[in-house]
Amino acid sequence: MSELLVRNAYVIDPLSGIKGDVMDIAIRDGKIVEEVGRNAEVIDADHCLTLPGGVDSHSHVCGTKVNFGRYMSPEDMRAGRTARKGVMHVTSGYSVPTTFGNSYRYSIMGYTTILEGAMAPLEARHTHEEFTATPHQDMLANTLFDGNWSIMEAVREKDVKRAAAVVAWTLSAVKGFAIKLTNPGGTEAWGWGEDVHSILDQVPHFGVTPAEIIETMIRANELLNLPHSVHIHCNALGVPGNYRTTLDTLDLVPDLNDKRQTLYLTHLQFHSYGGSTWKDISSKSEDIARAVNNKPQVAIDMGQIMFGRTTTMTADGPMEFKLYMLHHNKWSNHDVELETGSGIIPVYYSRKSLVNCVMWAIGLELALLTKDPWQCMLSTDNPNGAPFVKYPEIIALLMSRRFRENELALLDPRTAHYVPLPAIDRELDWYDIAVMTRAGQAKALGITGVGKGHLAPGAEADIAIYPLKPDSLDPSTEYQQVMAGFGKTRYTIKRGRVVARDGEVVVEGANSTIWTKAITPPEFDLSVDPEFVKKFEQYYTVRMSNYPVQDVYLPRGVCIATEASL
Amino acid sequence: MKIEDVVCTFCGCLCDDLVVEVDGRRVVSVENGCTLANEKFMGDHRLQSPIRRNGKGWEHISYDDAIRETAEILCDADRPILYGWSGTHGEAQSIGIHLAELLGALVDNTSTVCHGPSILAIQEVGHPGCTLGQVKNRADVVVYWGTNPIDAHPRHMSRYTTFADGFFLKEAFRDRRLIVVDVRKTESANIADEFITIEPGGDYAVLSALRAIVRGKREIIPPSVSGVSREQLFRVADLLLSAKFGAIFFGLGLTMSPGKYKNVRNAIELTEELSRHTKYTISPMRGHWNVYGSNEVFTWITGYPYAVDFARGIAFYNPGETTSVDVLRRKECDACLVVGSDPGAHFPKACAEHLARIPTIQIDPHTNATTHLSRIQIPVAVTGIDAEGTAYRMDGVPIRTRMLFKGEYPSDTEILERLYTLVKEAKGP
Amino acid sequence: MRVILRTKPRKKPFIPIEAEAIIPQNFLRKNDITVYEGNKERKLDEIFYITTEGPAVSPDQVEIVLSGETGRIKRVGEYMNAGRIVIEGDIGMHCGNFMSAGEIIIKGNADAWLGREMRGGIIRCEGNASHYCAAGYRGEKRGMRGGIVQVMGNAGDFTAEYLSGGEVTIHGDCGDLPGVEMRGGTLIIGGNCRRPCGNMTGGICMIFGKADAMLPTFRNTGSEEKEYGGHHHRMTMYRGDIANRGKGTLLVKIN
Repeated sequence: MSELLVRNAYVIDPLSGIKGDVMDIAIRDGKIVEEVGRNAEVIDADHCLTLPGGVDSHSHVCGTKVNFGRYMSPEDMRAGRTARKGVMHVTSGYSVPTTFGNSYRYSIMGYTTILEGAMAPLEARHTHEEFTATPHQDMLANTLFDGNWSIMEAVREKDVKRAAAVVAWTLSAVKGFAIKLTNPGGTEAWGWGEDVHSILDQVPHFGVTPAEIIETMIRANELLNLPHSVHIHCNALGVPGNYRTTLDTLDLVPDLNDKRQTLYLTHLQFHSYGGSTWKDISSKSEDIARAVNNKPQVAIDMGQIMFGRTTTMTADGPMEFKLYMLHHNKWSNHDVELETGSGIIPVYYSRKSLVNCVMWAIGLELALLTKDPWQCMLSTDNPNGAPFVKYPEIIALLMSRRFRENELALLDPRTAHYVPLPAIDRELDWYDIAVMTRAGQAKALGITGVGKGHLAPGAEADIAIYPLKPDSLDPSTEYQQVMAGFGKTRYTIKRGRVVARDGEVVVEGANSTIWTKAITPPEFDLSVDPEFVKKFEQYYTVRMSNYPVQDVYLPRGVCIATEASL
Repeated sequence: MKIEDVVCTFCGCLCDDLVVEVDGRRVVSVENGCTLANEKFMGDHRLQSPIRRNGKGWEHISYDDAIRETAEILCDADRPILYGWSGTHGEAQSIGIHLAELLGALVDNTSTVCHGPSILAIQEVGHPGCTLGQVKNRADVVVYWGTNPIDAHPRHMSRYTTFADGFFLKEAFRDRRLIVVDVRKTESANIADEFITIEPGGDYAVLSALRAIVRGKREIIPPSVSGVSREQLFRVADLLLSAKFGAIFFGLGLTMSPGKYKNVRNAIELTEELSRHTKYTISPMRGHWNVYGSNEVFTWITGYPYAVDFARGIAFYNPGETTSVDVLRRKECDACLVVGSDPGAHFPKACAEHLARIPTIQIDPHTNATTHLSRIQIPVAVTGIDAEGTAYRMDGVPIRTRMLFKGEYPSDTEILERLYTLVKEAKGP
Repeated sequence: MRVILRTKPRKKPFIPIEAEAIIPQNFLRKNDITVYEGNKERKLDEIFYITTEGPAVSPDQVEIVLSGETGRIKRVGEYMNAGRIVIEGDIGMHCGNFMSAGEIIIKGNADAWLGREMRGGIIRCEGNASHYCAAGYRGEKRGMRGGIVQVMGNAGDFTAEYLSGGEVTIHGDCGDLPGVEMRGGTLIIGGNCRRPCGNMTGGICMIFGKADAMLPTFRNTGSEEKEYGGHHHRMTMYRGDIANRGKGTLLVKIN
C-alpha cells in the first residue's frame, strides 16, 4: 500500500464542482481517496494551482504517419535533442518528437492522458507499439473509418446496424477507442487522386455521400453505446469558404446522448474559413461559434495555429497534396487499402503571411466566442497547428486581452480587416482553462467513469500542480508568468506517483491503453460473415487471422466494454 | 501439425499466408511459399551453442560466459558499433537501440547497404506511397525500376501486382500494363509491355527527361538519353500518364548506381509530377523481412531511421559519416556487435577486414560469413520459426510473426535483455 | 593571441575526435575546453600539446594553429564568428560548420562537409576537399548561405549541394553532381566534373573545364564571356533544370 497526501492545494476540479478551494488530496494505491494515514508521504502544494492531470483529446503522437513525419525530417529531429539523463532516454525532434520526447514534454506540462487522433486499423499494431514507448500518459486511439469499404457498403444499403457491427468488430480487433472520420469519403476518392468537396458529393464507385456516412456513423456509434461520440475531421479542410461545409455538417447532428456530445468536431479552426481564394480568406468564427452555441449536442476543439515551423500530418491525403502544391517543400502520402489515407508536409506559419495571421486569429476566436467552455477544447491538432509545447502560450493568449493585442500588433496589419478578434474582450479564467484542458476533454471522451479528468474519491490520482498562485496572480497582465507556469509543473502525479518534477521526469513510466469493446449479439458477429470475410480473402493483403492486434501489444490494457443496443 | 497463415520471415513482402507443417521441433513442409521461403523454413541448420575463438579454433562456452564477455567488450570500447537488426523482431531492435544509448555506441541497420539512399531521398522530397493492397486493387500501370522481383521478391507480382486480381481489376494480367526498367533484360522484363534498357549509370538523366516530358517540355529532349530513344521516352510518358492509378517500385538498381539517392529523389519527383495529372505512388522494394521494422523502431526511439551515433549522448545522424560501411572503412570502431544480419557476406572487403581486426560478436542462429570474422557467436531462436515478434512489411504494414514451436534457443530479445542488464549495472546509475 | 595545438600520439589513432570547441572565441577564457574521442570526453591537453603566445581581448585577435595528426579531428571551427584557424595538415569532417565570420586556412586536405551550412567568413583549402564540400544537412532545404569557400585542389561528389548563397570555387576537378539542388549563390569549377547542377532552381554555376554527362534537361540559351584565372573564356549558357521549373544558370566553357 502506498499513500500520498497533497496538502494546501488550490484545487480546481470542474467535474466535482470545485472552482478554486484550498484543500488536501489523499491518494492510496494510485486512486484518490477520502483520507490517508499519518504515515503517508506528504507534498506541500503551497497554495499552487492544482488540477486533474491534463487530457489531450486530439493529438498526433504515435503511429505510422507520425513516425513517417520523423523519418522524413532529420532537420526537425536535430532541432530538439536531449541526451540520456537519469531515467530519461535520449530524445530528438521539435515538431514531431520521438515517443519519449513527446511523453516527457507532455508530462512536464502536467498531461497524463492523450488521445492519438488517427489510427489506420490495418496499421494499428504500430500505434500500439509506440504507445508502449510513450510511458507517461494513458493512451487512446481514434480509429479511422472514413474510407472503410465495409462501412460505405453498409451506408449504401442504409444498414446502420451493419455499420455498427463493422465498427464493433474493428475496434475490438485493433484495440481502438473511438470512431474517427477524416474527410469522410474523401480518402477513398483520393485513391484515384480525387477528393469530395462538400458533404453532398458522391464518393466514386461507392455511391454514398459524406453526409450519409456521417449520419450513419453517428447512429451506429450510439447503437454501440460507446463512451466517446463520433470524432470528425470535416470535409474541405483548409479550403477558403469551407465554413459552409462545416455548418452543413453541424446541421446533421441530432441530440442522441445525455451524457456527452453527439458529434466531436476536431481542429475547427481549419474549417472556419470564409472567402473564396487565398487572397480573400476571412474568419467565419462567429458563424461557426454561433452554430456551436446553439447546439449543445456538439463539442469542438480549437486546432489553434502558432507561428513558427511545424509538420502537418493527417489521414486527409488529398488535403496534404493541396497544401504541398502551395508550399513545394516535401510531401509524403500513404494510402491504406480499404480503409483510409494519410499525408505529411512540413510547414512554416509566418506572421508575414496574411493567411496564417487569419488562421491564428480564428482559433482564438473559436475559444473566446464559444460560450460554454465544456464545448470547446484547447488544442493545436498537435503538431498540425503547432507542437503541443505551445499550449501554455495559447492559454496565456486566451486569459489576457493585452497579450493578444501585443501579438496582433506584430501581425500583417491587414489582419484586423478579416477577423473579429480585435473586438473580443473576453478573458478566460482559471476555471475555463481547467475545463478546456482536462475536465471538458475527459467528459467529451467519456472517460470520467474510468477516473479521468477529475479528483473525486475513486478517480485515478493523475494530478498536475503548477507553480501558479491564482490568489495573487492576474493573468490579464501577468501573462508571462501564466505561460511559464503552465509550461512546467512543480509536480506531475500519475496514478499516485510523482512522475515529473520542476521540468524533469523522475521515474520510468508505465502507462495504460484504454480501448473499447462493444458486445454485440451473435448475429452481428462479422468474423463469420461471408461478405466481410471475403474482404480479407480477396482484397486485403493481410490475412484476417493476422489482422487483430494481439493482447501482448497492450501490457496494461484497460477495456471499456459496452453492451450494444442492436 | 499444420499451422495456417504463417508469416514468412525472408523478404520484405512478408507473405502471411503460408501453411507450415511442424513435427515437434522440425518443419516438415511448407505450402504457398516461394523457393526462398522453403529454404528459410526447411533448410535450417543451427549453431548448437555459444562459441568463442581461442588461439587454435572455436570452443563452446555457456550463454552466461558469452553474454558476460560481450558486455565487457562493449563497455571497454571507445567507439562500439551495434549493427544489423533487420533479421530480428522489433522488440529486440528496441532493446538494441537502448543498449546503444547506454553505451554511447553507434547503431545502424542493413539499410546502410540497401535502401539507405532511398531514405536520404525521402528526407529531401518525401514519399508518396501506399500499402500494397492499394496497388493490388487499383493499379493499372505498374513500373519496376532497377529491380527484378521474379528473383528477389518472387511473390511480389502474384500477391500485389501483375498477377494479383483486385477489386477494380478483375483480370489483373490483362488489365494492367507493366513497364520494366533495367540495365539488362531480366526475367521480369520478359513479361513487360514496355522494357527500357538504360546504360549503366543513366537512370538520373532518364528520370530528368521523363519529368520534363510530363511537364510538357518535349521539345528539349535530345534524340537519345542514356541509350533510351526519344520516341520510347515519349511513349513511356504517355503510358504513365494514361494510368488511373500508377505504381512505381524501385530496387537497388536505382539506389546503388551512380548518383544513388539522387536517382531515387528524381524518381520520387517524377511520381509527384505525375500526381498532378493522375494518381501515382512509389515504393522501395525492401530486402530483409524486417528492415523496414528496424527503420521504424530506430525512428520512434532516436528520430532517425538508421546510422545513429550516440557517442555524444544525443542522437546524431549523418549517413556517409555515421553509416557502418563508412565507419568501418575508416577503421573507427573498436568493437562490434552484429545482430540479425551477415555483414561478412554483404560488406566491402576493407570493412570485413576491420571487423576481423576488432572484437566482433555475432548473435545469430546460423554460422555464416560473419562467423569467420567474429570472436564470439551466440546462437538464438529464428524469428518466425521458434521465436515471435513484430515485423514491418516493405509498405509499413506491421505484422506479428508467429512462433511455430517452442525450441531450445533463447530469442534475440532474451539475450539482449540480459546484455542490457549487465551493461546497465556496469555503467551505474 | 596565438594558440598552437599539436596532437599527441593516441592509442587508437583512427577513432575520430569531435572538437567543435576549437574556435577562437573559446580561447579567450581557455580553462575548461574539452573534446570527445569516440564516446569519451577528454580535456584538450589530453589530446594536444598546447602553447599559447601573446594576449587577446577579443576573438578576432585569436589565431589557432593545429598541427600533427589532425585528419581525424571533426567540427573544428563550428559556429566560428571571428578570428583565424590555420591547419598545418589535413582536417577531419565538418570543418567550419555554420561558420559566420573569420578565416580558416587548411594547408592539407579537408574531409567531407567542409563549410557545411556556412553563413559567412572564408575557408581556404590548399589541398583537396572530399564529398559534400560547402553543402547542407540531410533534409534541410538550404545548404551554404553565405561566405567564401576556396579549394585549390579537387573536390568530391555533391559539391555545393543545396547552395543558397555565397561563393564556392573549386580550382581543380569536381566529382559527380556538383551544384545539385542549387538554389542560389555562385559555384565556380576550374577543372572538370560530371553531371553538373541536377535539379538546380537558381544561382550561377561556371565550369571552366569539361562537363561530362550533361543532363538533357538544360536549355541552351546562347553564349557569354567569363573571366577565370586571368583569361577570358567563351562559355555556353544553359538555363535549368527544366525537370524542376528551374531558373538557374549554368555556364560551360566552349572547348
